[in-house]
Amino acid sequence: MSAAEKMSRRDEMETLLPFYLNGSLEGAELEAVEEWLATDPAAMAALGEAEAEFSGTAAANEAIRPPADALSRFAKALDAEAGPVRAPGQSWLAKVFGRVTAMPAGVAWAAAAALLALVIVQSFERPGGKGNDFEVAGAQGDLAKLPFALVKFKPDAKMADIAAFLGQNGLKIAGGPTADGVFHLTIPASTAADYDRLVGLVAAQPFADTVIQGRKPVDGG
Amino acid sequence: MNAATETDRALVDRVAKGDRAAVGLLFMRHHARIYRFVARQTGSEMMADDIANEVFLELWKQAPGFEGRSEVSTWLLGIARFKALSSLRKKKEDWIDDDDAAQVPDSADTPEVVTMKEDKAAALRRFVDALAEEHRTVIDLAYYHGQSVTEIGEVLGIPVATVKTRMFYARKKLGEALKAAGYDRGWP
Repeated sequence: MSAAEKMSRRDEMETLLPFYLNGSLEGAELEAVEEWLATDPAAMAALGEAEAEFSGTAAANEAIRPPADALSRFAKALDAEAGPVRAPGQSWLAKVFGRVTAMPAGVAWAAAAALLALVIVQSFERPGGKGNDFEVAGAQGDLAKLPFALVKFKPDAKMADIAAFLGQNGLKIAGGPTADGVFHLTIPASTAADYDRLVGLVAAQPFADTVIQGRKPVDGG
Repeated sequence: MNAATETDRALVDRVAKGDRAAVGLLFMRHHARIYRFVARQTGSEMMADDIANEVFLELWKQAPGFEGRSEVSTWLLGIARFKALSSLRKKKEDWIDDDDAAQVPDSADTPEVVTMKEDKAAALRRFVDALAEEHRTVIDLAYYHGQSVTEIGEVLGIPVATVKTRMFYARKKLGEALKAAGYDRGWP
């Protein structure tokens, strides 16, 4: 008999609690834990202890901070990577934007906003879950309240150039590209003047095709 | 299956067709978690930096062969685990056998010493950090990475029963450490 088979019911339930908390438990094991939680007075206390472990483990992991320039360096490595045999060589953004059609700005913005709403909703992660990790744009906070702009890059833009520029200016891609090739760019501005300056800086870059203002800070508000 | 997971798979499909932008998006989504996973596997943020990058370059190369049998996050964690172990073996660091894991004392200082002035949450975090690697990894994968028993088995290449055994001992050791520090939680 294996060690697992020798477990008492309490041991078995304690072993399954982390998986109950992360939402991955299902079937008979899920039913067993729920039945235990409903009938054993000690179970709720045990669940509280597991939740404390959950928090402690998250804190221990979140204390490790990846380098801020990781994306930039990866972009350079990827640009140098030939990869498997696929379509003829073309910059990654050229492929993304190859199908972009000219749309009136207002129409494009509306379409992009609708699609970005979907992207953003999908980006929020459940605690301990396998959701996206848009940490670069602060998914832990309220992304919907951050100043942002919508950006399309030129087809011949280099990912390394864009990543370097974003890193240098504290700008972060929070979502996209949409079907129309629009990225959602968070703008770290607390005033309207800061926002205008940063958005102007983006628009002046040789790799920027179109920049559309999104949410802008309201001074004094 | 949630919407985010479907999107991950869709992005991998795009990567398989040569879409470099999709690799960038997957990098932004998963890099921090992969980096942290490797950092805690190896104890080295320098190695984590290199290996995390390699994981996403591997994603670029292997995407055409991804069959979607596992979640993208599980697949990436599996690649990261393999690369971390390979790097550690190259450094000729010693590893302990599965069967011995439960017998080997964890590397923490005595709980009484380290928790004298800490509250329970801080003590718990320290005890998680101090668990033996086999135990800490299943704790990390379940609590932080949201992996199921089966997925942890896939990432670590071990049977489901072994995942449960490791989780049992990991939580047991945490409970014992807390009890020794004056925080009795009633189990074990």
